[in-house]
Amino acid sequence: MSKPSDLVQGTLDVLVLKILALEPMHGWALSQRLKQVSGEVLQVSEGSLYPALHKLEQQGWITATWKPTANNRRAKFYSLTRIGRNHLTREAANWDRLSAAISQVLRLKEA
Amino acid sequence: MRFQHWFYTIPLRFRSFFRRAAVEKEMDEEFHFHLERQMDMHLAKGLSPEEARYAALRALGGISQRQEECRDMWKVNLIDALVRDIRYAGRALRKSPGFTLVAVLTLGLAVGANASIFAVVYRVLLNPLPYGNSDRLIDLGSAMPSRNIPSINLTTRLYYQYLDRAHTLDGLALYQTDELTLTGQGTPERIRVSRATASLASVLRVAPVKGRWLSEQDELPGATPVGVISHGLWARRFGQDPSVLGRSMRLDNAATTIVGVMPASYAFPDPGVEVWIAFPLTRATASDAYSIPGVARLRDGATVVGARAELSRLNADLAPEYPDGGYGQLVSSATTLMEATTGRVSRTLWILLASVGLVMLVACANVANLFLVRSEARQREVAVRRALGAGSRAISSYFLSESLMLSFAGGALGLALARIAVDLLIAYGPANLPRLEEVRIDSVTAAFTLALSLLNAIVFGAIPLLRRAPLGAALHESGRGNTASRGRHRARQLLMGGQIALALVLLVLSGLMLRSFQKLRAVDPGFDAASALTFRVGLPRSEYPNRVKMAAGHRAILDRLSSLPGVTAVSASTCLPLSDGCTQGGPLFVEGRVLPPGAKPPIVGFHTVAGGYFEVMGMRLLRGRGIDQRDVERNEPVVVINEALANILFPRQDPIGQRVRLGVPSTSADAPGWLTIAGVVSNTPARALNEAIHPPRLYMPIFWSRETNISARLDAMSYVLRTKLPPLSLTGPARGRIAEVDANLALTQVRTLQDILDRASAQMAFTMVLLLIAAGVSLMLGVIGIYGATSYIVSQRTGEIGLRLALGAQPRTIVRMFVRQGGIVALAGITLGLAGVLAGSRLIESLLFGVGPRDPAVFTATTLLLLGVALFSCWLPARRAARLSPIDALRSE
Repeated sequence: MSKPSDLVQGTLDVLVLKILALEPMHGWALSQRLKQVSGEVLQVSEGSLYPALHKLEQQGWITATWKPTANNRRAKFYSLTRIGRNHLTREAANWDRLSAAISQVLRLKEA
Repeated sequence: MRFQHWFYTIPLRFRSFFRRAAVEKEMDEEFHFHLERQMDMHLAKGLSPEEARYAALRALGGISQRQEECRDMWKVNLIDALVRDIRYAGRALRKSPGFTLVAVLTLGLAVGANASIFAVVYRVLLNPLPYGNSDRLIDLGSAMPSRNIPSINLTTRLYYQYLDRAHTLDGLALYQTDELTLTGQGTPERIRVSRATASLASVLRVAPVKGRWLSEQDELPGATPVGVISHGLWARRFGQDPSVLGRSMRLDNAATTIVGVMPASYAFPDPGVEVWIAFPLTRATASDAYSIPGVARLRDGATVVGARAELSRLNADLAPEYPDGGYGQLVSSATTLMEATTGRVSRTLWILLASVGLVMLVACANVANLFLVRSEARQREVAVRRALGAGSRAISSYFLSESLMLSFAGGALGLALARIAVDLLIAYGPANLPRLEEVRIDSVTAAFTLALSLLNAIVFGAIPLLRRAPLGAALHESGRGNTASRGRHRARQLLMGGQIALALVLLVLSGLMLRSFQKLRAVDPGFDAASALTFRVGLPRSEYPNRVKMAAGHRAILDRLSSLPGVTAVSASTCLPLSDGCTQGGPLFVEGRVLPPGAKPPIVGFHTVAGGYFEVMGMRLLRGRGIDQRDVERNEPVVVINEALANILFPRQDPIGQRVRLGVPSTSADAPGWLTIAGVVSNTPARALNEAIHPPRLYMPIFWSRETNISARLDAMSYVLRTKLPPLSLTGPARGRIAEVDANLALTQVRTLQDILDRASAQMAFTMVLLLIAAGVSLMLGVIGIYGATSYIVSQRTGEIGLRLALGAQPRTIVRMFVRQGGIVALAGITLGLAGVLAGSRLIESLLFGVGPRDPAVFTATTLLLLGVALFSCWLPARRAARLSPIDALRSE
């Protein structure tokens, strides 16, 4: 598995925040959801997920609570904090601007 | 935004640091949960449990590594690493005690010097005076520039003028310090007493710790005499008796009731004053005698410049009404009280602080050199650490913790040394250093020391990190056959050159100060200071109410003293050279001379002397004769003037036989009679040896002066005893003889004439000694630095030297090579230092006496000294290397 580039690594934070914005979940569920939504395009290493989660938690974007799962196992559920939600909005807007700009450049026709 | 962050993050940080085990356990659980779910998924796909487990682990990419990455995210690793690094650093420093000892001692000395001088600068110059809103207080100094009088006190008439009309002032007070005899409880004592207006306490915004301050009722004629005593006197004389209020003490035999005790911090006008009594002042008795200092508080919004302008205008307003008062020429030179108190030493103290700052830099260069050597020796160790995965942050923090420990050890040592130094300074510092008694190591100085140590730590810690060889090269470095890189030598030479530059600056500074001191000591004081005792005896006015009684008292004392065994001659004067308190004086008129309109007569200080004064003092008689016992007996109206006065009044005439008169023309009806000039004596300095202008002086015989109407005060006189014995051994016998005259008389200011002369150069001696110490220390550190650097370079190149010797090089050539290299660095450093000191020489000009700030002799001597010392320190290690046999040198690797 190739190590994700910086761009992808930065993007991982946003993807995690976005998924957690939809509903709180634990790490494993999050890894499955990431695979599912990004398909084979974004190869997210499971290993880099946990450091990313711990970093986001330390930064205060997300917060963790221990709750029982559907089949009654204790698991660490992550959810978005208020400042995390603000951060996500800002990052999403940034991403939109960036991708729009890149698309525009790529659509330029040769003279 | 940041704040909201902390809301989430601070509890987490605390938790991950203090509840480490719980956090670790949770992390394990989280990872296991993940693995289990992953395995479940793989099992469901039909893998064997073994295969499922491996697949899950593989996907995660190594649990330990991932967990370590998570820990990094918590930031606790940093703290962990710091604790570990400090432990390692402690171990490493213990292992090289020589390095540690030298570094800590060097830093300790430099930090100690800086902390103690900083404590002085802070307490004397920066710390506000101990009065409320003290930055609004001004000293009401004045000057008469048109009459060449740079500084003059106020008159009581001005007090009322300012009180009624000055809009820039919010209250003013007058005070006048005097010496009175305190009798009553215990032995009689001469103490300093300040007569102060009742407004003084409100102007200064201080309140007594017990009782009350003087009130305006106390100033009225006929009021019961009351006094406020200092905390010191309360402790010394009354044992801090809480019931001291209402008790009576006798000041010059006048019963004075104690009404208040001032706080210990209160030391106005000076720390020697122990009692404050009312200033007898009424509008009716206001006079034009310029003898009373004043202090005032600026009104809100007023400035010192504004106050000066207004007060000068108010002075001039008085001129039409009092044409002889000199108010037309009087210009206010009011300054802040802080400036008036400490202004004359501020430059000296700042320069001393800058000098010890330079010593700090030299010490830093030395320790930096030590660090450089040490870091080189550990190049391989660092390379191994890096190869094993230590990041540059880990390595920086490792070196930083080492330098932190050293710097703080040095700082602690420095603080301890500063404590001792400050005590010594208070005990032996120059008596005329203002606010010296307030100096101590306080929290500000401690904070300064801490900041200095931190700065040191960062500087030294950064040095090993500045240059880092490529990892591969450092690992390969086997210590054989290679020499340290050029860059390292350059760093070392840079430090060496810097040390030489700094040392040169300090050497030149102290050299200039040394020359100034020599010049100051070479000034002819106009009297013979060897082997003479002086002391002052004051006669209480209650027992000696008039001039005749006072004169008789002094005469009786002189008679008794002259028969003391070992005393060759005795005389007395109201005022000695180089002493404060010689404020008596007035305008002098010459018989037969009409002053042109607008011209003013010279203001002349006058001293009343007993017979034979000039002979006892060893003052040179330039013309005519001195005042002898017969003049005194005959009441002969003769006077002696000094050379300065002769030059002013009689530049082309013979002054002998001319007649002069003291006083003012408008009151010539009751003015004293004419005085015949009988002689001219050499000038003596009034306050300082480096006086640019010698003040004009008039000496008159003691018993004659009773006829003057000028308030020539006779109550206290300074006695001078010429002797062949050690002067101070006469103190006891002299005290005994005086007690025979009057048992209630106290001796004050007992010292030799030599002491007076020494005291006059004490401040320059103080500056000089401190600068010499700073220069000496920096020279010593510089020598150690140069010697160490050269030794190291030589040791690194021993193999090369061996090779050269084996190939037939002369040892002399080898030595010359190293000395030349050192010499180039030394010359560069000297050039830099000379440039620096020439650029900054203006700053020290005012501290010097009789020598220019660019004195070629001082510059040449210090440059040669430094160059010689530098070359010698290069030569020693070079010669040692050149003496090796080629075989030994080659084998040394």
